[in-house]
Amino acid sequence: MSSLYLRRRITNWLAMGLSTLATLIGLAFLAWILWETLRQGISALHLSLFTKITANGADGGLANAMVGSLIINFIGIAIATPIGVMAGMWLAEYANRTKLGESIRFLNDILLSAPSIVMGLFVYTIIVLPSTAITNGSTTFSGFAGGVALALIALPVIVRTTDEMLRLVPSTLREAALSLGVPQWKLTMQILIRAARSGIITGVLLALARISGETAPLLFTAFGNNYMALNPIDKMSSLPQIIYQYANDPGADLHAMAWAGAFVVTMFVLLLSLASRLLFSRNKVSHD
Amino acid sequence: MTDSALATNPAQAAAASAVAPKLTVRDLHFYYNGFHALKGIAMDIPEKKVTAIIGPSGCGKSTLLRIFNRIYAIYPKLEAKGEITLDGENILDPRYSMNRLRSKVGMVFQKPVPFPMTIFENVAYGIRHHEKLSKADMSDRVEKALRSAALWDEVKDKLKNNALGLSGGQQQRLCIARAIALKPEVLLLDEPTSALDPIATSRIEQLVEELKSEFTIVIVTHNMQQAARVSDLTAFMYMGELIEFDVTEKIFTKPGKKQTEDYITGRFG
Amino acid sequence: MSASQAAVSAIDLEQRSKRDARAERLFRWLLKGCALLVLASLLGAAGATLWGGREAFSTFGWHFLVSTAWDPGNDVYGALVPVYGTVMTSLIALVIAVPISFGIALYLSEVAPAWLRTPVASAIELLAGIPSIIYGMWGLFIFAPFFADHIKPWLTSNLGNKPDDGKLSWIAQHVPFIGKLFGSDYPFGASILVAGIVLAIMIIPFISSVMREVFQTVPTRLKESAYALGSSTWEVSWDIVLPYTRSAVIGGVFLGLGRALGETMAVTFVLGNAMTLSASLLDPGTSIASTIANQFSEASGLQKSSLMALAFLLFVVTFIVLLIARLMLRRLASKEGR
Repeated sequence: MSSLYLRRRITNWLAMGLSTLATLIGLAFLAWILWETLRQGISALHLSLFTKITANGADGGLANAMVGSLIINFIGIAIATPIGVMAGMWLAEYANRTKLGESIRFLNDILLSAPSIVMGLFVYTIIVLPSTAITNGSTTFSGFAGGVALALIALPVIVRTTDEMLRLVPSTLREAALSLGVPQWKLTMQILIRAARSGIITGVLLALARISGETAPLLFTAFGNNYMALNPIDKMSSLPQIIYQYANDPGADLHAMAWAGAFVVTMFVLLLSLASRLLFSRNKVSHD
Repeated sequence: MTDSALATNPAQAAAASAVAPKLTVRDLHFYYNGFHALKGIAMDIPEKKVTAIIGPSGCGKSTLLRIFNRIYAIYPKLEAKGEITLDGENILDPRYSMNRLRSKVGMVFQKPVPFPMTIFENVAYGIRHHEKLSKADMSDRVEKALRSAALWDEVKDKLKNNALGLSGGQQQRLCIARAIALKPEVLLLDEPTSALDPIATSRIEQLVEELKSEFTIVIVTHNMQQAARVSDLTAFMYMGELIEFDVTEKIFTKPGKKQTEDYITGRFG
Repeated sequence: MSASQAAVSAIDLEQRSKRDARAERLFRWLLKGCALLVLASLLGAAGATLWGGREAFSTFGWHFLVSTAWDPGNDVYGALVPVYGTVMTSLIALVIAVPISFGIALYLSEVAPAWLRTPVASAIELLAGIPSIIYGMWGLFIFAPFFADHIKPWLTSNLGNKPDDGKLSWIAQHVPFIGKLFGSDYPFGASILVAGIVLAIMIIPFISSVMREVFQTVPTRLKESAYALGSSTWEVSWDIVLPYTRSAVIGGVFLGLGRALGETMAVTFVLGNAMTLSASLLDPGTSIASTIANQFSEASGLQKSSLMALAFLLFVVTFIVLLIARLMLRRLASKEGR
């Protein structure tokens, strides 16, 4: 009896110890990755990174890539937000518990983790190839195509959060508005969207954080450009794409610049997720 | 049982109140997911009186109220059969437009549900959907509604503030203002004080007293004292049936049915 | 109100009702159209890659799936090498990530003191927010060299059949396969194993947060009644919590697998980009996503079509894996009555 008891205690002690160890391993890798990004990134950080362009190589900067990233991300979010919010509205307000609604909600969840590189190839097929045909054969990669590819990745994130946030809005609010004779579309666009506003904004911020680090879908859409491009129909560089290119280059100077870029991207993404978290927790409190 | 309800209750009530009925309910049945929730309700609700509906929870009193403005229709698998006439027209007829019904029948819910906008906008929002008013007219209209809801003095200096900042009782009076701003003929109150403290409750009760000169009021309450205090007529429901409907005083002093007596003396429910 | 006024307002009302109904219909179709776009992007991605890969599929037929060839010179392509790399790196990632994620979820839901739970959970979730290209860079510049210097020599000399010192270890001599898996002449760190490890770190936050979430759905009374019988924390976790949440835990694992299969950047840097099939986990390889990332821009004709065909395979496989994941996760949700 006591030996059984002892064995059970040892097993328990061992399991608890291992689970603590697992957590420490996870945290250690997080610390390691963040530490290296900070250390290597900050030591490579120069003002010229923000003023010079990549055409000058190791003597240049990342200005065109940063501007490109901003433009492409903006296009992606500008396309995905209205479509995603409206699709989420449809799922929550019009198709909740219908077969089609449930299926789209389900497939949207799958799209959340779909391989982003395939989305890049999809946009390559529907935008880059046809526009190549228009311009008589010169391949027309463009910032716009990159933005569309990112929009496809942001879309399921926004759909999901909008849908969830709207379903959290108490049904009494809907009843109150409908009992005034307000039609459902006004209720949705003018009341529910306000009640769920900070949740929806959180979703958009999360989507932006998600696409800011995406590299694979941009390789065959926005492609890259060593000069400053501001027109979305031109090839456009982006930070992740430059990081990819420089990290694969043998030159150590370029590696340093890749780290600097990685640092900027990581900080941007982490600040975004921090902001969305703060916003969401505030939202939760104020609506209880 | 349907027959007996038809034969006695509406006649009694109408005679006792001696006013023409605003709403008449005939042979009303209600089903959700196949469950028979209301069984042959028949009653006449008189104009510009307060009619209370009481009964133990699950008796169908809120369900009945939610049929009067067809708010139940926003959920699937709910079905009402029978007839409810408002000024002689059957509101359950699909041809009776929602816009018309809901501008004539206002509703206030259990929990105060202000819209996430300013106090002014909360009241103006519903009006805007039904009428095009000039800015000045709209201000007048909002002020009038807030005054009728006995809220004006408390909020006149903060009309631009978010309505979520008001206290629970103020929010509920705002919801009443929002409903009466549409100038409805009937006002439905679904346990309007169940989420409020006693002081806020007595203010709402006072308000109901004042409003009945303008509106036909139907109030659902689980609080018998409240029904006794505010209503002219009281209907007692049990298990989806209308057991008794009569002048409030009579219901609470000499109920005609054993079940009513058991309920009001606290022997069940 | 006079009779004529009433008549006017009735017409007014009717017109307004009609206008409302029209606006409502329009709005409904607009919303539905947007929702259908979600569906369209899924079908479109599958359709576009299938269409792009039609030449490869029709040229090679089912041989495409089993051929190890990838020879742009002779224009012959087969999917086996990248498919093997994708599957192998993902499996390694799962073998490492699942027990660690389980440990983290257990720690956060049963072991850790309450005040520590939220900060640790947030930190782990921070890992999920780091862009995959950062994992790739860290793997390429930091972890792969570290692995080549400190871990790989030990693995080859103790487990492998190609040790640096020429002396075969006991394991390599007596246990089949192990020697092959850990033998390598290749001097660098980039390899299938390293890619698997980097992937593992990447998917740990996904799997552990799903596990933690589902562990928290176990009714407290269930756990309390087990504790009341004198069960230890471990026994409650293993005998009550895990069986109760089994399908969702498997769902979480599949979700991680789906992520791992489709990941491009975290693995491309550390796979070594070799289009050859090697039994050793310490040799470089390639994966579907990294083959596409490396070659697509310069490819044309049949090679481009083969890359599209690879993308189609990847999309279909991840779709199936994620489908299973969501179905498994849904079972717990329906048990909760959500």
